[in-house]
Amino acid sequence: MGFFTAVGVEGLKIRKSKMIWITLAVFTAAPLMAGFFIFVLKNPEFAKSSGLIGDKAQLFGLADWPTYLSMLAQIIAVGGILVFGFVTSWVFGREYADRTIKDLLTLPLHRLSIVMAKFLAVFITNFLLGAYVVIIGVIIGFFIKLPAWSMEAVLDGGFVLLVTTILTSTLSTPPAFVACYSRGYLAPIGFILFMVVLAQVIAAAGYGAFFPWAVPALFSGIAGTGAVLGLSSFFAVFFTGLIGLAATLYWWLYADQH
Amino acid sequence: MNSVIRLSNVSKRYKKFLAVENISLEIGKGEIYGFIGLNGSGKTTTIKMLLGMVHPSQGDCYIGNQKVGLANHDIWRKVGSLVETPYAYPELTVKENLDVFRRLRGVLDSSSVHQVMDQLKLTAYADRKAGKLSLGNAQRLGIAKALLHKPEILILDEPSNGLDPTGIIEIRELFQHLASDMGVTIFMSSHLLSEVAKISTRIGVIHQGQLIKEVKADQFKSLLSKRLVVDARNREKALGAMNRAGYSSVFNRKGEIETTAEYAVQHPDDISRYLVSEGVPPTHLALEEEELEAYFLRVISKREG
Repeated sequence: MGFFTAVGVEGLKIRKSKMIWITLAVFTAAPLMAGFFIFVLKNPEFAKSSGLIGDKAQLFGLADWPTYLSMLAQIIAVGGILVFGFVTSWVFGREYADRTIKDLLTLPLHRLSIVMAKFLAVFITNFLLGAYVVIIGVIIGFFIKLPAWSMEAVLDGGFVLLVTTILTSTLSTPPAFVACYSRGYLAPIGFILFMVVLAQVIAAAGYGAFFPWAVPALFSGIAGTGAVLGLSSFFAVFFTGLIGLAATLYWWLYADQH
Repeated sequence: MNSVIRLSNVSKRYKKFLAVENISLEIGKGEIYGFIGLNGSGKTTTIKMLLGMVHPSQGDCYIGNQKVGLANHDIWRKVGSLVETPYAYPELTVKENLDVFRRLRGVLDSSSVHQVMDQLKLTAYADRKAGKLSLGNAQRLGIAKALLHKPEILILDEPSNGLDPTGIIEIRELFQHLASDMGVTIFMSSHLLSEVAKISTRIGVIHQGQLIKEVKADQFKSLLSKRLVVDARNREKALGAMNRAGYSSVFNRKGEIETTAEYAVQHPDDISRYLVSEGVPPTHLALEEEELEAYFLRVISKREG
């Protein structure tokens, strides 16, 4: 009862916040841009007349549904690390920034329930944001009349999108700990940006499969079909998520809360 | 005493700094315990330990018979608290903030939100976002959250922060009503010492992490030093007369003559007659009592030697 009330309250705080509108804006712009690139790719005469955009658009290959769904997965993989991490940073860090943590610590609820309610609210929000990207993306795909629509393509693309969302969302637990440790939301945002940059460097060096923050993007096909991920890559992501969860719980249960 | 709040040899150490040292105290049902001390004396750390926010390095805190700790989170059903500055979710309205905590505290009666808003005069601001409230109303919201679930115990750190004089009186009367009529036990710290003196049934003085003095309200008056203040047309002559008679006197900051001699304080009429007989009739004669601030500073300076 208390746990689900806490989840509901976290949902209300998210719904009423400016943060959710910022993330929605980012996740609206991303499929629009993807749709635009696909549109450019689908219309070579427009690509020729538009110079640089046309050259970049060629990088994505075919202008069809499988390519477009893969692009959406890449958006969630890279954008999700930033956006989902931002959601987590806000959900945990705002309690310190607004000093409302003091109210939460004296609730007749076990602190474990409060932390798990926050994480559940974060994961639900992340999945809804992921679903939002897909819905907007599919509408845009139909609007620009992409070819090669098939149930098989949609199921394949949907599977990649779902796993990418799960992987990206799992990586949002370490920022929660950083938010609690630093008692705010600036440090976790810095942490996320640092991890995204580090993921680029490590992936470029060829070790992306071993670095958790590079795995969702590699799984989504950002490096083409060449990147093969082993079980160890998925394990690394879930282990990182577990460490973030355990560290956050430890902080709430045993650290002095000033 | 059947204690409702108990601290047993509680200490808190931050590396080399001892913030709170071996504090023990017990507070009974319906008491208003005023906890006073200078900034950094350990007031807030003690309150945070009592609320389970900070873990004691030594000793234990109890609410009723239950030890404050992770396993006993149920004790917070009977405790309302406010620590330091007021806080609320700025994106939620006053009503939503209260409703959120009503739900989280498991209070089923949704009318409790309206009741507490009425009690704290927040009804006019019910639909205003908490982030847009004045400091005084934000403080009222903080107190409303603490009272929402009709707690048996209130633990308040600086509850008068940001309130205007009318607000301070209203809150004082509310606390007095809660303690005397409803049996609510109140543990409060404040830097408004006169406010603490007016409301508390017992006062504890904390200095450099130690509880150096505990005084009951009914004993308190007798501890405040009294002085006789005299003025005359010829102040020099009057001072000389007072000192000659053995009433050790000095000029105060206003240039009046001041003495704390016991006989003079107890028999001001004799002093008046004596000065008349000495040819320096007093133009002003008043018995003044030490303020809590002065008493507090005297206790601390005595401690520091």
